[in-house]
Amino acid sequence: MMITSDSYVFVAAILFIIGGIGFLARRNVLVQLMSIEIMLNAVNLTLVAFNRSRPENHSGQIFAFFLIAAEAAEVAVGLAIVLSLFRLRRSVRSDEADSLRN
Amino acid sequence: MFLVLSPFIVLAVGALLLMLAEAFTGSERSLSVVGSIVLFATSACGLAVWLLGTDNVDLSVLAPWIILDRFSLFFNALLPFGAALVCLLSGGYLEEHRLQRGEFYQLIFFTTLGTMFLSAAGDGLTLLLGLETMSIGAYALTAFRRTSTRSVEGGLKYFLLGSFSAALLLFGLALLYGVTGHTDLAGLRDGLAHGGALSDPRVIFALLLVLSGLAFKVSAFPFHMWAPDAYEGAPTPATSLMASTVKAGGFAMAIRVLVTAFGDPASTSWASGWPPVVAWLAVLTITIGNLIAGRQDSVKRMLAYSSVVHAGYMLVGLAAFGAAKSAAIASILFYLVTYTVSTIGALGVLILAGSHGKEAVSYEDLAGIGKRHPALGLAFSFFLLSLAGIPPTAGFFGKWYLVKAILEGGMPLLGVITVLNSVLSAYYYLRVLVFMYMKEPAPGAPKAVPMRSGEVNAALVIAAVCVALLGLRPGATIDASEEAAKTLVQ
Repeated sequence: MMITSDSYVFVAAILFIIGGIGFLARRNVLVQLMSIEIMLNAVNLTLVAFNRSRPENHSGQIFAFFLIAAEAAEVAVGLAIVLSLFRLRRSVRSDEADSLRN
Repeated sequence: MFLVLSPFIVLAVGALLLMLAEAFTGSERSLSVVGSIVLFATSACGLAVWLLGTDNVDLSVLAPWIILDRFSLFFNALLPFGAALVCLLSGGYLEEHRLQRGEFYQLIFFTTLGTMFLSAAGDGLTLLLGLETMSIGAYALTAFRRTSTRSVEGGLKYFLLGSFSAALLLFGLALLYGVTGHTDLAGLRDGLAHGGALSDPRVIFALLLVLSGLAFKVSAFPFHMWAPDAYEGAPTPATSLMASTVKAGGFAMAIRVLVTAFGDPASTSWASGWPPVVAWLAVLTITIGNLIAGRQDSVKRMLAYSSVVHAGYMLVGLAAFGAAKSAAIASILFYLVTYTVSTIGALGVLILAGSHGKEAVSYEDLAGIGKRHPALGLAFSFFLLSLAGIPPTAGFFGKWYLVKAILEGGMPLLGVITVLNSVLSAYYYLRVLVFMYMKEPAPGAPKAVPMRSGEVNAALVIAAVCVALLGLRPGATIDASEEAAKTLVQ
């Protein structure tokens, strides 16, 4: 079997779906954070794979680098928020964060 | 060229210098005034570049990443103006509630810078950077009150759903890159038009992902769940920033992406394009937002739902884009201006109405406050009437102009739904007035005690003057929004 760019995109799509399901189904904030990371990594893989079949420039790969940096910054803030939630509630479950209701 | 980029440079350099000043002097006292001066200066630079024009400047170095057209200059004037008012509000609020920490202002600056980049982004890459700069600042602002469970929970929900939506948006852009080989919006447009735009199922799937990402950012149904929680939990100045500048930045992004990359006649037609999807989102956002807003006990949460509803009105304008073209975009831009000053004003009065330990949150807190503090009651009534769209305020012309564009686009049903919902929304705005003027607080019940702050007063006076001026003489702003819309649509 030949491994083509499409195979990578296929893997990326599966990763994205796994991440999406993980985000929606799990209630542990840390797992949800990891799920978002999986989704964003699927985006990276998609970009790099598509760039492989379009070698005339590197815009996909450059995009992936910027995305990695932005992800890191986002997770830093996210973990800080999770940490302050843990300090207040001694729990990292998002379904227990329910003091705001209409 | 540096002159043309001056709004970005003034804000970025100003923010960094203020960060240094705060670190070395260790004093936060005058940060809000100096910060708002920096933001007003940024807005003035945007206005100056608008007046001077960018025709004689070679902007090819920036292409395709940053687009400095009338559309982005319009936002370069509007976004920092809103943020400057928020900065003044923060000065009073943080001191009163003992949250005085310098980071708050830095977060406002960089969030605003992110929204400005977002409005000027012409490539997926700059869009990503603007979006993340904006969102990261906004997440931190929401969770700023670290000792309050509500604030942190609001921040957490905003963060989780915000990053999830960013992932959807980016996956959509990555798929579009695979189809066309372009990440820049103009290249996407050419690449998509080449193969008959929305005939390709991959493109339709990618567009749906992009649309849901954008809907999250402008808090449209069914992606609005984060908004009330984040708005209610956040410190009130952060709420006003999210409701004004951050929301306007989200709209700038949504408009530019949809109009530039998916602006060809087939994609914007009612029969085969995205407008019906946006129209459904808009109608559901307005109706459901209104129904839930009417049920709230908390005025702050009611204003959060009201912000969701207003996003819905603007989405109706976007849905009319296919038929009304630049008139639809112009009406959204003008609406954003009127909405920004009205909502900052309303949330500003809510800040002013409370003091440490005696915050004004629920309707009961405000009972009789209009009689005890006439000026405050008058100001709150004025901003709420503007949000409800009652003449002669700014909000009335915003709605008038929006409905006019929708009707000119040949969509009477959407126009009727907008007007009916606008009447419905008057219920919960006027309910505040009823509580302020016709009720008395129950004996022994906690009541709000207004704080004193020159900064908050200044912000409210500026916002009130803007609301009144836009209501009495909307002409110049309408002309500007038409011009901005025309450069985008052509």
